[in-house]
Amino acid sequence: MRDVTVRYASGVVALKNVSLDIRPGEMVSVVGLSGSGKSSLIRTINGLVPITSGSLRVGGYHLESARGGELRRLRGEIGMIFQGFNLAKRTSVLNNVLVGRLAHTTTLRTLLLGAYRASDREIAFEALNRVGILSKVWDRASSLSGGQQQRVAIARALCQEPRLVLADEPVASLDPPTAHEVMDDLRRINQDLGITVITNLHLIDLARSYGTRIIGLRAGEVVFDGPVESASDAVFAKIYGRSVESADVLGL
Amino acid sequence: MSARGATVARTIATLDIPPRPGCQWKPWCAVGLVAIITVITLSPQWGIDFSLEAIARNWQNGAEKILQLLVPDWSFFPRTVPALLETLQMAVIATAVAAVVSLPLSLATARLTNPNGYSRRLVRAVLNVIRSIPDLLYAAILVAMVGVGALPGIIALVLFNVGIIVKMVSESIEANDPGALEAGRAAGGNQVQINRASALPDIMPSFINQTLYVLELNVRASAVLGLVGAGGLGLLIDAVRTFYRYDQLSLIILEILIIVMALDLLSNAVRRRLV
Repeated sequence: MRDVTVRYASGVVALKNVSLDIRPGEMVSVVGLSGSGKSSLIRTINGLVPITSGSLRVGGYHLESARGGELRRLRGEIGMIFQGFNLAKRTSVLNNVLVGRLAHTTTLRTLLLGAYRASDREIAFEALNRVGILSKVWDRASSLSGGQQQRVAIARALCQEPRLVLADEPVASLDPPTAHEVMDDLRRINQDLGITVITNLHLIDLARSYGTRIIGLRAGEVVFDGPVESASDAVFAKIYGRSVESADVLGL
Repeated sequence: MSARGATVARTIATLDIPPRPGCQWKPWCAVGLVAIITVITLSPQWGIDFSLEAIARNWQNGAEKILQLLVPDWSFFPRTVPALLETLQMAVIATAVAAVVSLPLSLATARLTNPNGYSRRLVRAVLNVIRSIPDLLYAAILVAMVGVGALPGIIALVLFNVGIIVKMVSESIEANDPGALEAGRAAGGNQVQINRASALPDIMPSFINQTLYVLELNVRASAVLGLVGAGGLGLLIDAVRTFYRYDQLSLIILEILIIVMALDLLSNAVRRRLV
């Protein structure tokens, strides 16, 4: 990522000349206050937010020029997890997980109900098993608890067989114990499968205990980038532009 | 009490309340507009010409008709059965065709499921034209084009239904949570795939709801369409009306009432399972 700037149509500049190199297999925590550009950063990586200037290379793809089919193929290799889970609530868990196979499925096949390939279903079952909710495979997504829904979302991302997983505040809507379970799932994905994981977090202790590298954003600029050991309270104070408070940690 | 009131007053005085954004006069404008329209419609120069006096003048006539309506001619029932069945068939066929046509069109007219502004506006414009023409007018024109019978009635109903279903369902799509669609986009799906896999499950209840509602509308509408020659009960209604057989007419009205009520019960049962 070289000198990436993102300016929205409203004129808001979300990222200012951001340059980063993220190596395969890293577990990165991106921290910063809300409005600091965390979400924009993560969304530029899979092209949900177009970059205004600069260059961004992900895998073998050039984001600044990728369009249409190329962009979809790139997104197919990047899993994404959202704060609000973003499931289709009225359909089954399996159908939600199979959304992760869209980039590998023809449009015609998608249009026909349940015409996913048997191999795709196999991948979906394995993904659900990995996050421990295979027993819920036929349930309606809306009938699950928040933590279970987020695991379905992780299974959906795994189903893409991604090389990179982006997580945008994955635990901000969950209670503390569930938050730790979901973060454990993400760590296991990183360690067992060797998938690069980039997670947006605003809670300091979560960023410290689950990341190996911390990137601090403030007003769209990278103000810290280093291994988790060197991210002291003073560093966080710099990222947040104020001293660290008790509300900045999850506790537990 | 007064002390507290004073505190409140002081607090408000010290609070820096931003000025309320304009237009306190808007409601008054609305009232004024209604008043102006009322005056115009009631004025002898421009208003429509009607007087309640006619009811008083012809009350005997009206009372006679109502008395006839109150005594249905049950012996007429066997003759109404074929027309009744034709009306039901027209309603069901039209609803089915309209539902199939409406689903993709609904997705094409909602911003969330069709981000392409040009195609969306084009489909919307066409549907606005379709919706602005009343079903009876469609039937009248189609009878002239394809002849008397059930076919023009069915086509008229389909056009009428597509306008309603697409409008309602595309509005419910816009009200849905865009999160699932964003997830589909992030997973690398194209718009058609995203619509099928993520949007469709969420809009299905509203779609089925509207389709059931339209089925009910069709039973009533197809009764009227027959008046211009488009098949069904309406043809029969036209016939008995010409012969002033209000007792037979009341039997037909009764039949329509029973079918509409039955459909209402059915759609309520389906709806309960849906949500």
